[in-house]
Amino acid sequence: TTHIQPASEALPRSAEEARRLWSHYESLTRDLSLSLTEQLRLILAPTLATKMRGDFRTGKRLNVKRIIPYIASQYKRDKIWMRRSIPSKRNYQIMLAVDDSKSMGESGSGQLAFETLALISKSLSILEAGEICIVGFGNEVRVAHDFGKPFSSEAGAQIFQHFGFQQTKTNVRMLVANSITLFREARRRMFNVGTELWQLELIISDGVCEDHDTIRRLVRQAQEERIMIVFVIVDTLLKGESIMKMSQAVFEPDTAGETKLKIKRYLDGFPFAYYLVVGDVGELPVVLAQALRQWFAEVVECG
Amino acid sequence: MATETLTATSTSDSPSQVRVLLSTRHPDISLPENPGPILVNTNLRRYALSTLVNTLLQSEKPIPFEFLINGTFLRTSLDEYLTANGISAESTLGVEYVRAIIPPLYLASF
Ligand SMILES: [Mg+2]
Repeated sequence: TTHIQPASEALPRSAEEARRLWSHYESLTRDLSLSLTEQLRLILAPTLATKMRGDFRTGKRLNVKRIIPYIASQYKRDKIWMRRSIPSKRNYQIMLAVDDSKSMGESGSGQLAFETLALISKSLSILEAGEICIVGFGNEVRVAHDFGKPFSSEAGAQIFQHFGFQQTKTNVRMLVANSITLFREARRRMFNVGTELWQLELIISDGVCEDHDTIRRLVRQAQEERIMIVFVIVDTLLKGESIMKMSQAVFEPDTAGETKLKIKRYLDGFPFAYYLVVGDVGELPVVLAQALRQWFAEVVECG
Repeated sequence: MATETLTATSTSDSPSQVRVLLSTRHPDISLPENPGPILVNTNLRRYALSTLVNTLLQSEKPIPFEFLINGTFLRTSLDEYLTANGISAESTLGVEYVRAIIPPLYLASF
């Protein structure tokens, strides 16, 4: 059975309230979103630019690698020219996965999540970098905005309807598993883009999750399918409850097989290779731009 | 690979970890520095929590502790407590500890 729920009638927020919230957070993050858009534009510019490539009989620039075979073949292998290739504009699929669990609401992170949601979805849509998908997760995974659907203020308000921060569990393992499925389907729809399609998931959560070993395995699987996952931890900073200070107590067998209590720093066992801790939404543009820069570096290296 | 993903989505519904914030009203057994929230398995009972506090206190001789959540003594596992009181594992659980007044059972049995 799949836990991905279609948009149902029983949404946690009314349309009017969601619309009011959206316009509030949209105007609250307007400056930040413009600044993030500019930073991302700079990073994306070289990857969107046309490239000289190929082996043609005529063209703009010589392909140096083809010169020696050309001479050696008595000028028969004459496909020595490169042409400008025009890359497809929609080469990116970015999924924003926002924690909709109760812990987000109780710690006041819900507000930060809304700011982040408005900020990132707005910037990415101005950028026209590609397709955006927004999901909420907790007990279940809900698609609030699907890949392929155009983004607008109305869509933004509809997205907010899906978030009530009342879900009683934070099932990150299910989120990662379902994201992989969603990305596979989205990739299949864009078959003609092939390997040029880059998929990125940004998870926004307070970072408290369990079953780290299974999650680590799924993250690796995602990586094998060239889905990059960046976990953005929205640090609550309430009552001194910073995730940086949080520890984890585990009873584990030691080398002698005796059960011993181990107290570890929670983040030391965190299953995501790429994660960021953000306490203030104002840090997000810089921090996310850094994350995306790393992502592109990785993709270029793999390709 | 598809089957692997599906296996991962089938999940049990009981919460298995919760954040606890330990505190005490007695200065002689208070923690040297506030450890902040600690993530523990919900199958823990009094004895395991006692071990946790003793470890944090670095006590040479373990002190038996009792635990109070919202004013009532913990007599079950944390999981059972959460279920019985309708508390989700999403909240940070305030856990107060006191020295156990009743001597351990094995001492009282002779
Ligand atoms: Mg949570």
